[in-house]
Amino acid sequence: METSKIIIGYFIYLPVIILLTFFVSKTLFKNGRIFMIEIFKGREEIALSTNRLFEVGFYLLNLGFGLSILRIESYHFDETYQELIEVLSTKIGGFSIYLGVMLFLNLFLFLRGRKKSKSTIIQRVQGPTVTQ
Amino acid sequence: MNYNILSYLIYGCIMVYIIYKVGLICYHNGNIFVLHLMPTNAQLCLYINNILLTGYYLVNIGYAVYSISTWNTVKNSYNIIDTIASHIGSIVLILAVLHYMNIIVLQLFFTSQKQHI
Repeated sequence: METSKIIIGYFIYLPVIILLTFFVSKTLFKNGRIFMIEIFKGREEIALSTNRLFEVGFYLLNLGFGLSILRIESYHFDETYQELIEVLSTKIGGFSIYLGVMLFLNLFLFLRGRKKSKSTIIQRVQGPTVTQ
Repeated sequence: MNYNILSYLIYGCIMVYIIYKVGLICYHNGNIFVLHLMPTNAQLCLYINNILLTGYYLVNIGYAVYSISTWNTVKNSYNIIDTIASHIGSIVLILAVLHYMNIIVLQLFFTSQKQHI
């Protein structure tokens, strides 16, 4: 009975991080598909597979980080519900801030790819005229 | 039953499942990627991809099994959860870094090949 509040904390924390990661990545990569199709200029097969690869990377990175910060140290913990709520709020809040930074990083990556693919089109169009 | 042995069993099951699933997804999507790299030679692409998959399995399962030797003793029931979680978390993070590096390398190949054409 003495350790039961830490276990309650783990069983609240685990579903929260898994669901958060799931919903964020679902939203990001449902919309990322359109970006990818534009980056690869309509070649749908490679665009979808790149999107899937990025999705796997996103899941791995975030779930790995979330699992590795799960531990609640037992010798600082004095077995009250107040302490449990404070510890959980630190962990879940920190994780969701991290998730937000990752989301913007991925979005930045998509935008950069789109810009790059546009500039290569311009280079290709201009290339022969410069050499002639 | 010893807590350590119980947690080794749970850890092994979860790790094998994650490694197998991620390898399968990367194999199927990577095939399209590599095929795009050299569209003339489909047989060679399959060959390269198979070698990559085998290397991935060897590295990961080897590391996952090796890291069991660095575990501390698991004292009580909630210790099972946090020990398993921190070890799986660190391995999955390494996996993620390797995965992103792979994507970057393939992308570099892809762009350099496009410039040659």
